[in-house]
Amino acid sequence: MTDSTIQHNEDKRDVTFRVHRFNPQVDSKPYFDDYTIKLEKGITVLRALNYIKEHVDPSLTFRAFCQAGICGSCAMRINNMSKLACTTQVWDELEKSREPDVIKVEPLRNLPLIKDLVVEMDPLVGKMQQYSNWVDSKMPEEQWGRKEFLVSEEEFLKYDKATDCILCASCVSECTILRANREYVSPAILLKSYRMNVDNRDASHEERLAGLVKDHGVWDCTHCYRCQESCVKHIPIMDAIHGIREDALESRGVKDTSGARHAEAFMEDIEKKGKLVEATLPIRTNGLAWTLRNLLPMAFKMVIKRRTPPPPPLVKSTKGIDAFRAEFREMSGHVAKDHEKKSGE
Amino acid sequence: MKPFDIVIVGGGGAGLYAAMEAMKTNAGLNIAVISKIYPNRSHTSAAQGGANAALANKAKDDTVEMHIFDTIKGSDYLADQDAVEVLCSEAPKIIRELENMGTPWSRLDDKTIAQRPFGGAGRPRCCYCADKTGHTILQTLYEQCLRKGVQFFNEYFALDLSVDGSRSKGLIALNVKTGKIEAFPAKTVIFATGGYAKMYWNRSSNAAGNTGDGQAIAYRAGIPLKDMEFVQFHPTGLRKSGLLVTEGARGEGGYLVNALGERFMSRYAPEKMELGPRDLVSRSLETEILEGRGFDSPAGKYLHLDLRHLGADLIKSRLPQIREMCMYFEGVDPIEEPIPVRPTAHYSMGGIDTDNYGRTVMEGVYAAGECGCVSVHGANRLGGNSLLDILVFGRIAGRAAAEEAGKFDPSPIRDVEILGKELELRSFMQPSGHYERYGTLREELGHTLGQNVGIYREASKISKGIEDLAALKERFSHVRVFDTSDVYNTNLIQVLELRNMLDLAETVAAGALVREESRGSHTRTDFPTRDDDNWHRHTTYTLEKGAPRLGFKPVTMGRYELQERTY
Repeated sequence: MTDSTIQHNEDKRDVTFRVHRFNPQVDSKPYFDDYTIKLEKGITVLRALNYIKEHVDPSLTFRAFCQAGICGSCAMRINNMSKLACTTQVWDELEKSREPDVIKVEPLRNLPLIKDLVVEMDPLVGKMQQYSNWVDSKMPEEQWGRKEFLVSEEEFLKYDKATDCILCASCVSECTILRANREYVSPAILLKSYRMNVDNRDASHEERLAGLVKDHGVWDCTHCYRCQESCVKHIPIMDAIHGIREDALESRGVKDTSGARHAEAFMEDIEKKGKLVEATLPIRTNGLAWTLRNLLPMAFKMVIKRRTPPPPPLVKSTKGIDAFRAEFREMSGHVAKDHEKKSGE
Repeated sequence: MKPFDIVIVGGGGAGLYAAMEAMKTNAGLNIAVISKIYPNRSHTSAAQGGANAALANKAKDDTVEMHIFDTIKGSDYLADQDAVEVLCSEAPKIIRELENMGTPWSRLDDKTIAQRPFGGAGRPRCCYCADKTGHTILQTLYEQCLRKGVQFFNEYFALDLSVDGSRSKGLIALNVKTGKIEAFPAKTVIFATGGYAKMYWNRSSNAAGNTGDGQAIAYRAGIPLKDMEFVQFHPTGLRKSGLLVTEGARGEGGYLVNALGERFMSRYAPEKMELGPRDLVSRSLETEILEGRGFDSPAGKYLHLDLRHLGADLIKSRLPQIREMCMYFEGVDPIEEPIPVRPTAHYSMGGIDTDNYGRTVMEGVYAAGECGCVSVHGANRLGGNSLLDILVFGRIAGRAAAEEAGKFDPSPIRDVEILGKELELRSFMQPSGHYERYGTLREELGHTLGQNVGIYREASKISKGIEDLAALKERFSHVRVFDTSDVYNTNLIQVLELRNMLDLAETVAAGALVREESRGSHTRTDFPTRDDDNWHRHTTYTLEKGAPRLGFKPVTMGRYELQERTY
């Protein structure tokens, strides 16, 4: 036995953590502090932050609890991506750093900042309440505990993956819609809503759906897939969002909300011309009164800047529209059949 | 300020179940749940395995009676048999209740809740949801509490009880987001703050906040603690973080190897090798390290759990979670390198002494879950019984408090009490010449406990541990909080948590020294056998003149006579 077998030969490096700092009692605006520490391979970002707090700067503030990737406390932006500090290896991050040996650490976005890396989580809890993110059991409470609902493994698998969500808010932080509108329902809440809606033990499916199709709801998502990319539990969040939309179209019809009407207008244009008739899209989606009230000023600006879309009669069908229409109808046929099959189950 | 009917401290499984049950008992009650973190972050979420209940879905011949016997035997006969009866007979009801309110469970072919075998159980009775059972239970309870409109005070750190003679008047807590100290006058208080095994620090699988806050507050208020010396160790924690590598890795055929390249389990369990009972395997790893056959590293001595011979395919298909964990937390891919492991503290059997209704000796104060000690786990807890414990006794405490709340009107918490707390906390921030860093003390605390009051204990080592603790307490008086801001001062919180751990560590060490026998998780090399004549009894600890005063309580027996515990 040689010494080298016992003394594990470990790689060491100087790593700089460029950390977002803000103490509302003292600072008028946030700034960054650099902490350079010597680290061995195999250390997570959270362990590095703990080290800095214990040995360099005790005032550095962040949340952390289980340190095992299950509680969701330590979500933060590391090198411009929201993730859990406790499951992120420093060595992996160094490969992604823009500046050599520097790792940038910032708080989550789209939630109010409290201090350094800590953001307010109450808005998310408020939305859980607003969108009834709980199972409203079909069984009256006084009967609970006597016998179980019979649920097939197949039923269970419908919500299995969605229940992996630990509400770390990484998706909330990366959501592009929330950046523009904080009232937007947010991906995590849509995921949870979906999980409740596909649970056949739940009795409030219709009411929950009615809330989700309102303003700031499920139709505001622009499918950027950023939420799914950032999900620390690899949950297909977009499947849940599409699932809610399909469900809304199916059970509430296309005339129900602006989002659904918008989708319908899209389909109509594509079938007819192979492209969009943008000038009338807002009217068909939200009605004439709404369009005049909300978009008139923008219309004027567009005229001044000569950016107006062509009037409807001038929108010519795309080349090869006949072949395209045939394909379009065939696809629509498949979708209709799928829906029939689903409702027949 | 109008007093709350019930103030629940802690938002894990026990606290949330208590809140829900109290509201079910009387919807008009004014209930507050105070938690130092958001409740959905609680450590309940870390329980992967499942919860035991004799539903007889999987093994049709399973019975509540068998569950009772397994639990009592597992406890090395230190559990109170009447309490175990409550635990096991309530189990099927509470698992079904959780199912009825929407908890996801894995299912059997006949669509009932799935069950699997677990250590120490005679039948497959552990109900599970994949490997995230605790997480899904916690989420469901939190969702249901939101549905019922339970009032949450998130990110409030509980400081102390306000006591009037023999009765509690409520709780004093620090609002972490504002730094303000606030009074929570209450007719009843339920402590549900989880375990204290984090005092072993880097040698613990627990969350950073499992610092026994509720136990320490109760202890300071004069409420006795019970069986504190019983701390369960798991054989394979990761070297750096203490996080668990579950038994599945050995179940699939992993080897435990020392620095000489030996599969050392052949010395301790030649037949079962790596699959011996949990306490035996823990002791074996510890012996290898103590006798100098471990690897050395800055993070401490360790051994290897080698999976490489199983091959990439098997590791990827059967142990994907374990592989992911090793890569995330240790930076090691088990396909290419052995996993560095050592035993890790992961559950505290002891806690606040309560009766079968969660009541403590102080009127109006209750405790439930890992925070309390009924006792259903005795000297050693069975896998799958911890989730069950928090659910069953959380609910019972919630109901008992709801029934009692109407009968009492507490006198108000006075401003001077709040002011006293403010001064106390401020004093941590006063500059002084010589100061200590809390991080260093915390690491040393974990180190001395691991060395001297860990898996193997003997009088001389424990005495050394007690000396170390006294020195650490002295040094703690020089700890300085450098962050002087009011807003979200985690520096202050971590110092307060350290104080709680130091207080409780004294009781763990005192119990370890006085109990001159080996029972369950408590192994004395100088007293290697179980001594029922002298030690078939509970230990209790009451704070008196700054030190724990020891007491004893008989074990409640029932149908099952004392037997040797063999598997």
